Amino acid sequence: MSVIWIHEDAITLDHPAVTMAGEGAEIIFIWDTERHDEKAYSLKRRVFIYECALDLGVKIMAGHPYNVLRELVGEQTIYTAWSPDPDYREIIADLRDTHEVKVIEAPGLVSVPDDVDTKRFFRFWNRAKKSAMTPSHQVLESETA
Amino acid sequence: MRDATQQIPTDRASLIAEVRQLSPNLSADDTTVSSIRGGRAAAKARLKTLDPAEYGKTRNHLDGAVTQLSPYIRHGVMGADEVRDQALELASCKTAEKFVQQLTWRDYWQRLYREYPDHIWNDVEDYKTGFGPEDYADDLPEDIAAGETGVACIDQFIDQLLTTGYLHNHARLYLAGYICHWRRVKWQAGAAWFLSHLLDGDPASNNLSWQWVASTFSHKPYYYNLDNVEKFSGPDIDTAFKRNKPLAGTYEDLRKRLFPNGDFQ
Ligand SMILES: Cc1cc2nc3c(=O)[nH]c(=O)nc-3n(C[C@H](O)[C@H](O)[C@H](O)COP(=O)(O)OP(=O)(O)OC[C@H]3O[C@@H](n4cnc5c(N)ncnc54)[C@H](O)[C@@H]3O)c2cc1C
Repeated sequence: MSVIWIHEDAITLDHPAVTMAGEGAEIIFIWDTERHDEKAYSLKRRVFIYECALDLGVKIMAGHPYNVLRELVGEQTIYTAWSPDPDYREIIADLRDTHEVKVIEAPGLVSVPDDVDTKRFFRFWNRAKKSAMTPSHQVLESETA
Repeated sequence: MRDATQQIPTDRASLIAEVRQLSPNLSADDTTVSSIRGGRAAAKARLKTLDPAEYGKTRNHLDGAVTQLSPYIRHGVMGADEVRDQALELASCKTAEKFVQQLTWRDYWQRLYREYPDHIWNDVEDYKTGFGPEDYADDLPEDIAAGETGVACIDQFIDQLLTTGYLHNHARLYLAGYICHWRRVKWQAGAAWFLSHLLDGDPASNNLSWQWVASTFSHKPYYYNLDNVEKFSGPDIDTAFKRNKPLAGTYEDLRKRLFPNGDFQ
């Protein structure tokens, strides 16, 4: 059995990290007060995040994600959604010392070559436009064709 | 602390009480909760209002047909791809393009965040304003934090930020421009303040937009005049000259006033 860690950058069950963890995986959302205090989140931000998390109907645990997961997870694999947040990346790197952690990226809005110029938006848009304007079902169809 | 089988609070007051209990360090003065609700159903209700054709025509107006989906997209409650698919379902490619292009801004900022995490809090480039970072104040002035600047439309935008946790893109630009250029405050101070209040507060979309306004990530500073605010504001925003004097003037006047040594085109 696996554990799915839901963090604030992907408060959803409609994510490949959830699908890949498979049926029966334990899903937890971790509420990290220290993170909110550090970032000086106002009450309204915290309420919004909590409301989104509650809506998933999953277990919610409070604490620093590293400590919570270290304590909770034994031999299981941890699945989580990819995030650019350096704090999350650090937690994942630390967890990997003792656990298998699978970080899964959702398909996203556009797919562009790695060497795309990101210096200014409109240069990026020119390369990304075709992919951005293609609905997901068409991408899936062409991938499975 | 909360099991999946536990009853979810049905009234918002108990939900807020739970958040308070979980946040012992939160100031007792911070009592404001937005009317914008979290969760998938609320996101879907917003998505239903999407009108790509109207969006293309009115999106720059403060009362235009924008979606207010940003808090949900930012927290992954709804994917930008799902929103894009809905736009393409509702409208032709040509009609939906402006909307999809705006959605792509988010993707673009996220990519930069991934590639250059240091860009989030550091100047990407030099200021083009004729000033150096040392000319900007480190902290947000108190009158701004309190929404008491005396510039009527700016105080209205601040009030909206503090009470709803959401601002239209143009209002964000006006407010950020005012803070960086009229008050000469470091963009970092304004960005941190936005992040504590915006429900969609995102390190990449927010901080890199602030840098775009400040000119540390663009060719020139973003500034505007009162006529521009008047043009894009609905009747709810007070744009009377006598209550917004610092913003009034031609672009040429303002440029001289705000950037006497500016070297941008
Ligand atoms: C100073 C400043 C700070 C900002 N801070 C944030 C922030 O913290 N979080 C955030 O999501 N956006 C931020 N933005 C970008 C933009 O203002 C908001 O995404 C947009 O106003 C959200 O409202 P909406 O959902 O009604 O947008 P719509 O116009 O309906 O657009 C649909 C979606 O596209 C995306 N989008 C649209 N425009 C932009 C943009 N310029 N940059 C990035 N994404 C965009 C958002 O996900 C948005 O929900 C900021 C802009 C400025 C100028």
